[in-house]
Amino acid sequence: MEALKTKLKQQIIEQLNLEDFSVADIKDDMPLFGEGLGLDSIDALELIVLLENNYNIKLTNPEEGKSVFNSVNSMAEYIVKNRP
Amino acid sequence: MNYITTYCHIALNNCYVNGKLTHSFNSNSIDDFTKEFYKSLILEYPKFHKMDRLAKTAFLGTEVLKKECPEILNYKDDEIAILFSNNNSSALTDVNFQTSYQNGGVPSPSLFVYTLPNILIGEIAIRNKWYGENMFTVAEHFDAEYFVNYCNVLLHKNAAAALCGWLTIDDNKIEAFLFFVTKKDFNELNLPLESKQLIELYTKN
Amino acid sequence: MITYIGLENIISPLGITAEENFNQIKQGNTSINYHRGIGFGHENIFLSKLKNTPSFYELLSQCLQAVIKGTEDELILSKDTIVIISTTKADIKENITTPIIAAIKKLTKEFQLQQQPIVISNACISGVLAMNTANNFIKAGIYKNAFVIGADVVSDFVLYGFQSLYAISDKPCQPFDKNRTGISLGEGAGGVFMSSDKNVFKSTCFEFVEGTSSNDANHISGPSRTGEGLVRTVNNSLALAQLKPSAIDFISAHGTGTSFNDEMEAIAFSRLGMNTIPLNSLKGYFGHTLGAAGLIETAICLQSLRNNLLIKTLGFEEDGASEKINITTQNITTEVTTILKTASGFGGCNASAIIRKLK
Repeated sequence: MEALKTKLKQQIIEQLNLEDFSVADIKDDMPLFGEGLGLDSIDALELIVLLENNYNIKLTNPEEGKSVFNSVNSMAEYIVKNRP
Repeated sequence: MNYITTYCHIALNNCYVNGKLTHSFNSNSIDDFTKEFYKSLILEYPKFHKMDRLAKTAFLGTEVLKKECPEILNYKDDEIAILFSNNNSSALTDVNFQTSYQNGGVPSPSLFVYTLPNILIGEIAIRNKWYGENMFTVAEHFDAEYFVNYCNVLLHKNAAAALCGWLTIDDNKIEAFLFFVTKKDFNELNLPLESKQLIELYTKN
Repeated sequence: MITYIGLENIISPLGITAEENFNQIKQGNTSINYHRGIGFGHENIFLSKLKNTPSFYELLSQCLQAVIKGTEDELILSKDTIVIISTTKADIKENITTPIIAAIKKLTKEFQLQQQPIVISNACISGVLAMNTANNFIKAGIYKNAFVIGADVVSDFVLYGFQSLYAISDKPCQPFDKNRTGISLGEGAGGVFMSSDKNVFKSTCFEFVEGTSSNDANHISGPSRTGEGLVRTVNNSLALAQLKPSAIDFISAHGTGTSFNDEMEAIAFSRLGMNTIPLNSLKGYFGHTLGAAGLIETAICLQSLRNNLLIKTLGFEEDGASEKINITTQNITTEVTTILKTASGFGGCNASAIIRKLK
């Protein structure tokens, strides 16, 4: 689980071009949207792409993303549960 | 009479303002260069890293021009027209977006939103809260006559100044020429807005 | 100085003249159809596609040719004439690295144009912006005549892109409706002729009063929540035209069918005090034709002026925005004098134009 979270953080930084953040800056329970990482609506869609390209998980409804992309914790849990 | 108040050229690793070399770097790629350039300007603007190369270059050029001619910041928020032009639209990002879905991947939304050349105008408008006229045109070559004519038209109509630019970027080459047109010659460069003059500045450096 | 506008043409699956298209939509016919498996991931998609899949260049030259027929033959060859082209992705299907310039060089040669055409690629406001630019050049006396042509074709590139934004409607688009879920793409071309001389039009022409553009300065892909840019451009166009909002008889809005865009427009027209003026979106008939949209929709506006007939908003049934605006639910026969055309697009751009009957 820890390895998955670290990898996920790297992928988020790379995919979303978060130049000012390092893996250590992103806490497991930090909100990804709003106050925390400050991601926006396009980033949310890009996270859906990240799940599909890297974990083969297809989110069909972007609304579903809201709870999944709450934090690195919630993303990792979702991946473990839904990985084919 | 309208004036070219200030202008800049950006090529890989170099930026010249009003004809003088002002920023120089030793990067090996366009992406490293724009990153180094951005860092050197000490701007707190994380959105910069999300832009494509076209928008990054236009953004950097605009920041440099603002520094050289701070009077620009005194205009009202809708008095500055933004006119950009190039010969291949957003081709570089277009290819990247196409690649995102061609090799078994999923189309990337963050690349798709940059597959319109006028997005760079939007980025500049957002950064500076400029609500004025916008237009992106595509031409085979730098069209000095168009810029002169259209700046004169807009400055006579509902704009007081214009930010203009020509920029072409491919995998390893960057060529950008940005200039501010105003009614008052703030920097006293004495460069009246005329086709011959503009072509001369464009071909400099 | 007055700028005149007329000789409108539309090429769409509904017809190859403005009259044919107007007669089709008057009867409530749409060109949006169900296309099995053409989307990314073999999704089924509703969109408007021409039968013979013409290239960008073919659309452009066919439309220009049609507009030329309405003027004196030698006008296109004059140094006082400019061709202004509006497109977003042009020939992206065939030529991704130079999608625009190759086609424009061919056009310049084929029509023996004396001036380099101006190509405007400014997202979904390109068409309205192209007419505004023509008007600006004509009023400044730089050119006397302008052929303004917009064209875009449907491509995997654009379709997949809008799919990636979850912005494609799962049924034919429903502008301003409560149950709208996104856009339906379309393809086609639209063209008009503009001039400082009304005698060079072979049919009735109108006055292009004024047009402006304004940026939201807010977000590159989402419209402003307050409709700031749209409010500003409409206010600026009205001010330059020396008209009050009440002088507008009808609004041809952008109305894409996405949740955010239509909400933004409703807020903007409400802020402008224009919420009782009849308003429509034509996207339910043609789909969203991107760079051609402003010109196709303006061509329909000119037909509305000629026929004193306002077209209903196909796909709209129930109010679905936080502000109430007067969306047409029926075709309305009424005397129409002054029309406002608006458009909004990615990059936060907004444009507006005012057209009226000659006194």
